[in-house]
Amino acid sequence: MARVVIYSEDVDYIKTAVSYFANENTIAISNKESHFTDELHLLDDIKEDFIANYIVSLNPEIVITGSTKRDKTIAGAVAGLMKVPIVPDVIELSGNVAKRVVYSGMGIAEIEFSYPAVLTITKKPVDVKEKETKVVKVQTREEKIKRVEVKSKGESSVDLSSAQIIVSVGRGIGSKENIKYAEELANALGAALGGSRPITAELGWLPEDRQIGLSGNKVKPKLYIALGISGQPQHLAGIKDAKIIVAVNKDKNAPIVENADYTIVGDAIEFCKVMTEKVKKK
Amino acid sequence: MNTVTCFKIVPDDTLIKIVGDKLDLNVPPKISTYDKNAIEEAVRIKEKFGGKAIGVTAGNTDRKSIREALAMGLDEVIAINMKEQDVMSTAEAVAEAISSIKPDIILTGESTTDSSGSVFPSYLASLLGYPFITYAKSISIESNKVRVERNLTTFQEVVEANLPVVISVVGEINTPRIPAVKQILESSKKPVKTIDFNKQPKVKIAKVSPYVISRKKVVIEGKMDEAVDKLLSYLSQEGVL
Repeated sequence: MARVVIYSEDVDYIKTAVSYFANENTIAISNKESHFTDELHLLDDIKEDFIANYIVSLNPEIVITGSTKRDKTIAGAVAGLMKVPIVPDVIELSGNVAKRVVYSGMGIAEIEFSYPAVLTITKKPVDVKEKETKVVKVQTREEKIKRVEVKSKGESSVDLSSAQIIVSVGRGIGSKENIKYAEELANALGAALGGSRPITAELGWLPEDRQIGLSGNKVKPKLYIALGISGQPQHLAGIKDAKIIVAVNKDKNAPIVENADYTIVGDAIEFCKVMTEKVKKK
Repeated sequence: MNTVTCFKIVPDDTLIKIVGDKLDLNVPPKISTYDKNAIEEAVRIKEKFGGKAIGVTAGNTDRKSIREALAMGLDEVIAINMKEQDVMSTAEAVAEAISSIKPDIILTGESTTDSSGSVFPSYLASLLGYPFITYAKSISIESNKVRVERNLTTFQEVVEANLPVVISVVGEINTPRIPAVKQILESSKKPVKTIDFNKQPKVKIAKVSPYVISRKKVVIEGKMDEAVDKLLSYLSQEGVL
């Protein structure tokens, strides 16, 4: 019987999970190799239904998963198969009390629950020692879902969640072509470039892994510049931990103004041109 | 082609405010954003293939929101009153309510705006023994199979499965229709079946505190050249540039 089973396609989640159960015997299930747990069941692929069934077959008491889209899909399936409670997006965990962000970033809920349960967690910077991990290879099998095609959307090498300065674009930038002005500003500042959900997931003006918000990257830069972003709750939820937020918007009644430290009322492109020039001169 | 669409009625996230040290949730309810996309998708499937499009909602059963769902094109709604709920008890309530329906496709939104957990769709599917496909950007149906394009952050995956299946949709799948007056009027004639489900949830919310980060809210107007100079001076004082 496996008491603590940890699943994620991203090693950072596995590290965070191990930090919550530092004194326990842990088993990691992943398609990525890592040596933070006592055992690692190394998968050759991600097939969500197979993996959910596999995790359940280990008869765990505690299942911790990461919070990528597929991690959460698997977490829900495992909890449903086991008929146990599930608490997603845990930001803090102590015994049987978990904290999570609710209402699109407006609140923090304190949750009480008991094991057996499934939790999905957010990443935390943690110090976890590597150990002697027994590695078992697992061959996944296609079950009821058949993968027909995979289309890459061009993964970029930028890690927005650790970027110190971020230039971000919203619909107010106007067009895909105009993003180059934001890009020039980002280069001048040594900043990473990101965007709101409409810009990334909907319009595809930036790759989707550049999305900042509740369902995208949560960022904590010292400076966040929001260009033409209105300030919907889902976007604000992703930038709450920024030290300083600067907004550029034509509408001084846009919700972002109440949620920014400094707002320049004006055109985002004009701002980019002027700011880029001045920053380059310094 | 019979479908069941799960939609949640939630406090309008754009109106929730922090008042003092409390979160003011006493705001008008609405159908959770991406659940509307799920309803739209169900109605499109019905328009194309025929059959019945049933809606299920659990928790807050605000009549106005249910009317809106019916006006968009659902044939009937099952409204499950729940005083308290968590993912598990909600999934159990829904599973029980639709046990006699045996739909071909169960649709949900990718996540709800109040909790954003994204784990309900696959939880429900596993309770029912249905396969699950999450984050659908497009759905095409041919005889008894679905072909779904999934939106997975850095890549898109196309999958197929036989019916029946649970599918959660992303907001980018469609644009939900705004019902015409005729449809709004007709919606009052469509059936709403009310059930009470009061199993104690195992996940309890002990308290909800506002997540406040106070911002300076300084507004800089005027000519861009001067505005940027002012901004640069502020940012230098803040130590971020």
